[in-house]
Amino acid sequence: MSFALFGQRGLLALTLGSLTVLPGLAQEAETLAEAELASASRPNIVLILADDLGYSDTAPYGSEVKTPTISALAEQGLSFTNYHTAANCAPSRAMLLTGIDNHLAGVPNIIEMLAPEQRAHAHYHGVLGDNVVTVATLLESAGYHTYMAGKWHLGSASNKLPSSRGFEQTVTMADSGADNWDQRPYLPLYDQANWFANGERFQLPEDFYSSRFLIDKTIEFIDSNLQDGQPFFAYVPFMAVHVPVQAPREYIERYEGVYDQGWDVLRDERRERAIELGVVPPTANMVSMTTTKNWALLSDERKRYESKRMAVYAGMIEAMDFNIGRLVDYLKTQGQYDNTIFIFTSDNGSEASGPDNPTSLVNSAGTGNMGYHVNYEGLGEKGSYNSISASFASASVSPLAFYKFYAGEGGIRVPLIIAGMPLQLQQGLTRAFAWATDITPTILSFAGVELPGPRYAGRPVLPITGKDLSPVLMGESDRIYADHETVGYELTGHAVLFQGDYKIVVNQPPAGDGQWRLYNIVTDPGETDDLSDQQPQRFQEMLSGYETYKRENRVLSLPPGYSQMRQLFSNALQERYGANITVMILALIVLLPFFIFYRARKHRS
Amino acid sequence: MNKILKVLILLPAILFLVIGLRWLVDPAGVAPSFGLALSQGLGLSSQVGDMAGFFLTTSICMLIAVIGGHRIWFYPPVMLLSITALGRIVAWLVHDAGLATEQIAVEVIVSVLLLIASRRLPAAP
Repeated sequence: MSFALFGQRGLLALTLGSLTVLPGLAQEAETLAEAELASASRPNIVLILADDLGYSDTAPYGSEVKTPTISALAEQGLSFTNYHTAANCAPSRAMLLTGIDNHLAGVPNIIEMLAPEQRAHAHYHGVLGDNVVTVATLLESAGYHTYMAGKWHLGSASNKLPSSRGFEQTVTMADSGADNWDQRPYLPLYDQANWFANGERFQLPEDFYSSRFLIDKTIEFIDSNLQDGQPFFAYVPFMAVHVPVQAPREYIERYEGVYDQGWDVLRDERRERAIELGVVPPTANMVSMTTTKNWALLSDERKRYESKRMAVYAGMIEAMDFNIGRLVDYLKTQGQYDNTIFIFTSDNGSEASGPDNPTSLVNSAGTGNMGYHVNYEGLGEKGSYNSISASFASASVSPLAFYKFYAGEGGIRVPLIIAGMPLQLQQGLTRAFAWATDITPTILSFAGVELPGPRYAGRPVLPITGKDLSPVLMGESDRIYADHETVGYELTGHAVLFQGDYKIVVNQPPAGDGQWRLYNIVTDPGETDDLSDQQPQRFQEMLSGYETYKRENRVLSLPPGYSQMRQLFSNALQERYGANITVMILALIVLLPFFIFYRARKHRS
Repeated sequence: MNKILKVLILLPAILFLVIGLRWLVDPAGVAPSFGLALSQGLGLSSQVGDMAGFFLTTSICMLIAVIGGHRIWFYPPVMLLSITALGRIVAWLVHDAGLATEQIAVEVIVSVLLLIASRRLPAAP
């Protein structure tokens, strides 16, 4: 499929070619024109990835948060209301950038949550395997400039960083996250915030704020090669709105008081708006998550604090939107906007791991130990540690159930907006099912780049399994996946299989109960009506389909007693304190004979 | 008085033991506290071997001297620490190194404590 709309440079080159009269010059001009035409006919592509952004966190999907830039993109493009991705970070990024199931690509889970028994398998290392090719590599080979500014989380060894995976210019946060104001880690798991630029360790500037900085760097990268006429692919994986949830004060202030009515009211309001906008059908009912606390039972002081937590979250989203707007303005100023395609999405649903009460003695001691405060005053600003709990997270994914780390719709259904002047695309909303692996083949289609064969750069590589979304984007079809086709996914025992309008899903404890259920996610995106008893044949067929998915994608069974949070804690202990514990044990072994000798001598005397 | 002296020697002995073991177990974690960047190949071998050897020898000699009551064992750590302090001063004077005042102070103070202990503490029967 070709999206050949000629930019200004292409037209200029054509004109030059036709006006040239001297034969030699004409040939040279034709060559130049062809080269220019080839590049000008290929659009620039900007892939923007928000972090932990819930389904209804942006205005086009029902949010009260002001996101004028994202709204403008949604107005001129197509918004997918039935787009799904992985339930957590790195697996999602692996699929987005390769078009291949995350288990096969080497990233079944984030590295921080993998058990030693799992890591014993080559495809369970939690870093992007060498058996896959990234979209950046393919685009770079096709003459694109490839830039990345933002979170990577697919491996921090030099051969795993984005600079080794097809990105020409990079500045990247290698881990699961970091502070948004300073170069400091956000979890005791890390001893430092591991930022890299073009493969080398990188020191952040003094005036760092993540969303602003990442767009500054993206603009700098684009600007550095703007004159050579080649198209670019810019990947901008924001740190917003990952923990720690932080935003400049002016953005926070805009939302102070907005959330004083609590999470239940917000969840209802967002559902109503999503229905009005046509994002979900009027039949979209909601479940009450067991993890949602009773707002009415909170003290006034606690309500005030919770409201502020959510205000910071909203401010962080608006700050991200503002900075995306800066990039859009820059591209307009440079005459590039009309030749640029934007893809905006999130890596997974809203994060619900924030504590119910961050100011409790235990929780504030934990954040205090990392040098953070959790005071109401200054919450979300420099030096402060903020998050939202499961209660507001359930509003952030309204009207869906569950959130990040779970296979419920709230964990894996996220916004996807594709827009851009080079595309003569459908505008509005589509309910076509789409999956994270579809992004890479769609980008390659935009760029007119062939999918890789069974070997690439002399080594065997896995075939892309995602599908090009262009038929839906161009209005040639209303769906990408046929009714018989299935898409599976698994994360630490949380699992799902999609087929047509249906989905079977199992969510494990603590928020889930380990039972498989069947839902029609088009009429019932909130997963309120389990159809497994009403449609037993479909249910059994889909269960069988999931077993096939597991087998074909080499999904391993969980080690006995595995729990993702316990494993995270255990890995953190081992990673951070393992050496110290070993030293202490060895020291005790050395000291023991001296102690025994001392006691024996004392006893004798 | 002798008890206090024993404690004053045991504390740095245990500290040196931990530092020596850290050089064996986690050199990347301990190297920055010495102003060192880890080398590779032979350099790394020398860093880990020499530093672990220095600290473990110093520590174990101090433990044998204090707990075993063999006063002659005080002298190796005295020599190691005082010559290290001297080396630091030479490095500052001759090789443009920084003057590591804190480290020199620790090495001199512990050396003096060990010398005092070698005179005062009772020898093993």
